[in-house]
Amino acid sequence: MDEKTIDLIVIIGMISFTFGPFLFSWIFGNWYQKSKQKALVEREAAFGGDPLTTLRTAPEATTESGLLVANIIMSVSWWQGMIGGIHSIFGGTITTWDKTLSWGRQEAMQRLREQCRDSGYDSVINMRLDTSEIASSKGKTKALEIVAYGTGIKL
Amino acid sequence: MSNTETIPGRTIGQSLGVVTGSTVRAKHIGKDILAGLKNIVGGELKGYTELLQEARAQALQRMVADAAKRGANAVVNVRFATSSVAGGAAELFAYGTAVLLQ
Repeated sequence: MDEKTIDLIVIIGMISFTFGPFLFSWIFGNWYQKSKQKALVEREAAFGGDPLTTLRTAPEATTESGLLVANIIMSVSWWQGMIGGIHSIFGGTITTWDKTLSWGRQEAMQRLREQCRDSGYDSVINMRLDTSEIASSKGKTKALEIVAYGTGIKL
Repeated sequence: MSNTETIPGRTIGQSLGVVTGSTVRAKHIGKDILAGLKNIVGGELKGYTELLQEARAQALQRMVADAAKRGANAVVNVRFATSSVAGGAAELFAYGTAVLLQ
């Protein structure tokens, strides 16, 4: 082998070591997230009507009530994080975080609906959504917590 | 417990002041590494979801204990606050107004 071939092998090796994990993350992350989102849409469709409201007052006929809380921690994949980083240089919408957060909110709300049904309540009033940042010990994993809570009421 | 100003269907007799409950929790290193790996594909980090769920339940429990100590039988207008204290640890804080129902 002459020097040029060795140089080429070294360069290809360096590129795949640098971008390999991101490529892996792109392929598997996309596949994984798509399947999860599909499952969520199916769950929502199977649930039927929406018992959640943001109204602050309960109907007169309420007999029983209790606090309901549902949460989820969301993070973006390495690939999405990289794309987000590039996006934030130019400003504008950071689509990867945008999608992840709205997906997380949808999932948290669906969990609240399921909790409402499982604990025998008819609907949820005064539903609130909160978001907060969760840091990992190394400070590398950027994750956000989404919590949905409200008062379940029985009519 | 309720996060509205009243307990639906009941009347509040007496307000007994603000009650609070908080807890600081951290996950062991193994779960942290798993979460880091899960981060490759993105989406939900189940380990952390469970951690915060447990922590929130504990904070609520402490708030209720505080309310019981004051002789209340309900807590209205419950709110949550979260803050990350040190690396890997999160503080969960729940507060509300303790009341005595008629």
